[in-house]
This record gives sequence, C-alpha cells and structure tokens, in this order.
Amino acid sequence: MEDLLILLRPRLLGLKNSLTRHEGPGGKKILVMVGLGLAFSGGMFLLLCRVLAYFQSVQLIGDILARQLLSMVLLTFFSMLIFSNLITALSNLYLSKDLELCHCTPVSVEEIFISRAAFTFVDSSWMLIIFALPIFLAYGYVYEPGVWFYFSALHMNLGMAIIASSAGILVTMILVHLFPAQRTKDIILLLSVVMVVALYLLFRFLRPERLVNPEAFFGVAEYLSALKAPESALLPTHWIAEALWSFLDPLGDTRTVDTGFAAILVWTTALSGMVINVWVAHFIYFDGFSKSREAKKRLRSGRRFLDLVTGALSRPFRKDLAVILSKDIRVFFRDNTQWSQLLLLGALVVVYLYNFSVLPLDKSPIRIDFLQNELAFLNMGLAGFVLSALCARFVFTAVSAEGEAYWIIRSSPMGLRRYLWGKYIFSLIPVVILAELLIVATNCLLEVSLFMMVLSSVTIFVMSTGIVALGIGFGAIHPKFRHENIGQVATGAGGFLYMVAASIFVGLVIILEAGPVYVLFMYQVKGREIGPWEWLFILLSFAGAAVICAIAVLKPMKMGVKALGDYDG
Amino acid sequence: MDMIQLIDLTKIYRGLKAVDRVNLDIEKGLCFGFLGPNGAGKTTTIRMMAGVLKPTGGRIILNGHDLAKVPSEAKQCVGFIPDRPFLYEKLTGLEFLQFVAVLYGLGPSPSLEGEIRELLELFELSAWREELIESYSHGMKQRLVMCSALIHRPQILLVDEPMVGLDPKGARLVKDIFRDQTSGGKTIFMSTHSLQVAEEVCDEVAIIQEGRIIARGTTGELRRQAGMDGNLEDLFLRLTQEGD
Repeated sequence: MEDLLILLRPRLLGLKNSLTRHEGPGGKKILVMVGLGLAFSGGMFLLLCRVLAYFQSVQLIGDILARQLLSMVLLTFFSMLIFSNLITALSNLYLSKDLELCHCTPVSVEEIFISRAAFTFVDSSWMLIIFALPIFLAYGYVYEPGVWFYFSALHMNLGMAIIASSAGILVTMILVHLFPAQRTKDIILLLSVVMVVALYLLFRFLRPERLVNPEAFFGVAEYLSALKAPESALLPTHWIAEALWSFLDPLGDTRTVDTGFAAILVWTTALSGMVINVWVAHFIYFDGFSKSREAKKRLRSGRRFLDLVTGALSRPFRKDLAVILSKDIRVFFRDNTQWSQLLLLGALVVVYLYNFSVLPLDKSPIRIDFLQNELAFLNMGLAGFVLSALCARFVFTAVSAEGEAYWIIRSSPMGLRRYLWGKYIFSLIPVVILAELLIVATNCLLEVSLFMMVLSSVTIFVMSTGIVALGIGFGAIHPKFRHENIGQVATGAGGFLYMVAASIFVGLVIILEAGPVYVLFMYQVKGREIGPWEWLFILLSFAGAAVICAIAVLKPMKMGVKALGDYDG
Repeated sequence: MDMIQLIDLTKIYRGLKAVDRVNLDIEKGLCFGFLGPNGAGKTTTIRMMAGVLKPTGGRIILNGHDLAKVPSEAKQCVGFIPDRPFLYEKLTGLEFLQFVAVLYGLGPSPSLEGEIRELLELFELSAWREELIESYSHGMKQRLVMCSALIHRPQILLVDEPMVGLDPKGARLVKDIFRDQTSGGKTIFMSTHSLQVAEEVCDEVAIIQEGRIIARGTTGELRRQAGMDGNLEDLFLRLTQEGD
C-alpha cells in the first residue's frame, strides 16, 4: 500500500508544481480555460432546461422523451468512457516513458498496475464527469426531485465511470497480450475512427429530424417505437437511468429496478471489475509490458504505391519543394493516426451533401428560386467554416508536423519564405478541390442559377486562399514541434486563435458580398434596375472582399516567416 | 583563411546570457574542439552556427558568408550533426538521405545514388536502407545523421556531442572519418564532453564556461597557460574551477 502511494506521488507532485510554479500554464490562461468551461457548462444547462421544460409541457409523450434522453445521454457517456479508457490505458499502462523506471524498482507488478489504472481512470473520466454535471443539474432544476437524486447521480456516475474504466483497461490488457502495444495502438485508433464514422453516418441516415415531424409516421405506436433507444437490462446505464428516473418521476409506473438494488448492482459491478482487472494483471500485465518494449515493426508495405503517388503529385514543383511534398505525403500515409482521419473527412463530405439532398424546400412558404439561391449564398459561409475547422487539423499543423526533425529544414539552405509558401501551395490544392466539390455539388442539388454558381465557386476559391494562408501563418507563429500526437497541436491556444481569425475572415467576406449579391439577384429575378450608386456599392463591396482576402493571404504568411525565423525552440 | 568567424556572438534566453560575446576564428582544415561543463553554452553556440537558433547579437561568418545576411549560401557550406538525432521516423534511411540531398541542391542523379550507397556502406547502414527510421537504434540514427551531414560535401562540419550513443566500433569509425575530413581540408567544429576524444581528434580547443570563452589554444598551449603538466581532464577541471 505504501509503495502504491509512492507510485501515485509523482503525478500529484507534478500537478501541484504545475499549478504553483511559473512553468505551468499562466494564471490568465487558466482563467480563460475555466471561463470557457463554465460558459460551455452554463450554456448546456440552459439549453437542456429549455428542452426538458418543453418536454414537460408535451402531454402523453413528454416524460417518455425526457426518460429516453436520459438513457441516451448515459449510454453515450458510457461508450465514450470505454473508448477513452482504451486509448488512455495503452499510454498509461504500456507506453509511458517512466514505466521502465517503475518496473526496475522492487515494487510489485500489481501495485504498478493499480497506480496506472488509477491514472487511466482519472485521465479519461474527469472531463466527461464534469460535462455530465450540467445535464443532471438541468434534470434536477426542471423536475425538482430532492437531494437523493443528486447524491445518486453523483455516486452512480462515479460507479459507471469505474465500470467503463475497468472494461477499457481489461480489453487493452487482452489486446496487448495478443498483439504488440504499438500495433494495438494502431488497431484501437483505426477501430475508433471507423466506429465514429459508422455511427455518424448511421445517425444521419436515420434522419432524426423526422422525429420532430410526427406527420411523417403512420401512427402513434410507430412514432413511440421510433423514439425508443436501444437498451439492454444488463447494461449499467439501464440500472442508473431507471434509478434516477424513479426520483424524477416518483409516481410513474415504468420502474423495473429498485433504486437501492440499482445502486448495489452498479457498485458490485464496479468493484468486481477492479478485482478482476488486478487478478488478470497478475498473469498478463508484465508480459504485455515486456512486449511493448520490443522494437517497432521493420517491414513496410505499399512503398511502390507511395512512390507513384508522390512522383505524380510532386512533379509540377521545383525539386526542393517537390522533395518536401513527397516527404509529407509519405509520412502522412505511413502514420495510421493521420491517414485514418481521411475517413472522417469522407464521412463529413457525404453527410454535408446528404443534408442538402433531403432539404424540404417544397414545403417552404418562400419562393423556391429565391430560397435556393439564398441557401446557396449562406452555404458559402457554412462551407467556409467547415473548411476552417478542417484546416485547423490539417493545415494549421503543417509546420508543427515537422516535429523535432524541424532542425533539418532550419539548418538547410532552403529559405523559410520558400519553405512556408511551399507548404501553402501543397495545402491549398486539396483544400480548393474539396471546397469546390462541396460548393458545386450542393449548388447542383439546390439547382441554383448560373450567376450564383459562378459567384459561389469564385468566392469559395478566394476564401480558400485566405483560410489556408491563415492556417499556415498561424501554425508558423504558434509552432509546437514537441508533441506526442499531431492532432493535439490544433487544440492549443494557437489553434483557437486561428479558428477565431478564420471565422472572422469568412464572416467578413460573406457580409461584404451579401449586399451586392442581393441587388444583382433581384435584378436577375425581378428585373429591378440597378442605378449608378448601386453599381458603385457593388464594386466597392466586391473590392473590399478582395482586399480582405489579399490581407488574409499576405499578412499571416509574412508574420509566419518572421516568427519561424525568430523561433528559439 | 578563416573558415569560421564568430564575432561578439551572444544569445540571451529570458534574461539569461547563455552565450556572452563569444569571439572565435577558426582556420581551414582544423578540427576545433569546443569544451565546457553542462549548461555552459556549447549546444546553443553550435545551434546558432547551424542556423537553427537566431543570435541575440553578434555575427557568424561561415566560409566568408554572413549567416544573417546570406543564410542559404552560408548553410550550403555546412553539415550539421546535432546531439540528439531527431529524424522523420516514417521515412526509410534511403528516402531520408535523398530528401536531405535535394534540400542541399543535389538533384536525383546516378552520381548521387552512388554517393548515398558509399556513405551507407561507410557507416554500415546498407542493410537498413529500406527500413523505416523508427526501427533504427539510437546509434544507427546517429550514424544516419552523419551520412546526411556529409552528403553535400560541406566545407564545415558542426558536430554536437558526436560520440553519444555510438558503440566503440562506431566511435572509432567517426574519429577516423573526422581525421579524413580535416586532412582533406574540411573544418570541423565539435563540442564534446569527452576530453579523451578532444585530445585524440582536435587540433585546437576552446573552453566555454557560463557563455564565455575562458581559454583557447592547442592542448600544449593550454597546459603552458595553466602552468601544469597533467592530462586534458586535469587542465579542464582546473580552468573551469578557476572560472567559478
């Protein structure tokens, strides 16, 4: 037990030091993060209060909806916790750099395992538990159930998090026992991406918007059955939902599990999970850890295919830029954590286009040609925001992706200006292709006029040039060459600033184009005459948008070159 | 002719002077050892000379090119071997060398392929040329970095702690290569903790402490300056203790 406390001590000391010393995040940064967290939680609380209050006002099915929502929330949290634990357990139990030190000491394997399992539980659960708070507070606020509801929500959620953690850790131990840790990491990451894509597509193709239109169903029974979430009586979320609902709706007759019995079920399962894990760890944990220290895989496949791809794509560029492009493509496709995100990108495009294909335009009271073109115009803004978010992950990180090997670029004779503009061109081409695909395809689905098709295609092209330059520029101003996973780079302060800048840029372009587009569209549809002052307004607005785009391209790139030149590591 | 000139070179990190007005001029064909205790400013100086760090003040002139004014020309003359071999782990050794060669203006050509083959053989990495760098050991990565630093036949080699992670055979190989390079007229600027290496390989050494050069000369000259006969280790300890 004493050894266990010693093993937990470095983490606690590290936390204390990062909070009390200057090396950690500054006071302002912590305040901003706490402020953002509170704002998010507050927003979620208010939104859910409104939704639940609305449900309460709906007779017959209101309570069913609130009960189903609770079940869905718990089920979502539970599955997210399991996945989060799978990934975190792999790092904490097998891949952490300090593990070798721990295993050299005369501490028992079980104690090392328990300390790492505790880290895994805390790392993967704290955020979700905090996000869960406003949801349960909203239920409490709307249904006024009494203090036992809060107590039960707290301890049962804790129990659920322990069960999820135990399950995640157990699966990880078994996987590492069967495969090397590095391979397991790839498998888990790939599985999680595929699962997210599948869930995303499945959810969207179920068309949940039909639920707010009961006329789409033949009868009440069919509608009610469509509302029901899939749930098994063997799942801990079912016990918790039943127990909590009994506090919220004490007179209801839908209870199948007694509250006390549900609590016993949750906690005995949680404790059993912990005991089983320690028992399994006794047999297989060290064996898996030892395997994880083995060298990484030597053999590669698909080299010829990559040669062909990089050869074709880098041909138009001069040889120094071509070699960087070729290197970036090879690194991207050999890193499973990177290329697998293209699956998410593909799903996003499919759902984006699908959303436009199922828009019920014919049911709108507004004239259809007007609505089609208005939607196409607003779609430029939406596409701009979607592209900004994608660029946060793939373009903002382009400089940081050099990692600690950045010294090779910096010490080479290639100038930073050329390097950064090279990165810009490589990123711009796929972004423009994607942007035009989204815009042209949605315009075709909306059957817009030729004028709107040309205008939106040109606008999204020009907007893409600015969004990409902002991404490359901000990425160079806030580089993070020391990172475990390139995906984390975009979630820092630099990524946040980039998103703010890109959103403002997209918003400004849309605002500047809105007025002249309206005038030109009315001329086209209704034949309204355009006076000389209106022509001047149109010219100035488009010129303003062009100037903003030029600034968005040149300024961040210039600042990026300077910042990289001043970079001290 | 001086191949390397450092003029009042200074680097300040958050108010701390890591390198304090260092002045050095190093002739062509010399192997110059840069010694000093931990945190004395050796790596910072070398990283500034390689163009990886921007100096706070002073000038760096490499083969007559001012690094601040004509960085590309200056860097073209330099091969840099850092202390920690951070590389692109997802490239193969061969792909990495081809990548670096093109960065230094060498186009894909049969002669370049021959050059790469020779270097890989020299550093005993031929069998690993098609393997991902992530599967290399630390010493193999270090040897691969050396290949990449030599690939464009630089006039100046900047080497930070060259023997870290090398086995005795690798260390011997590197020392032989350094001797070959200097005898061919190349200039080597090398930081090292190993006084034995400095004694074996270097024609001249400088000792840096708290960012300042406290002594410079051949080992014989330094002994005379310090008025002692012992080995370089005794001399180093004496000088750095005096500096304290």
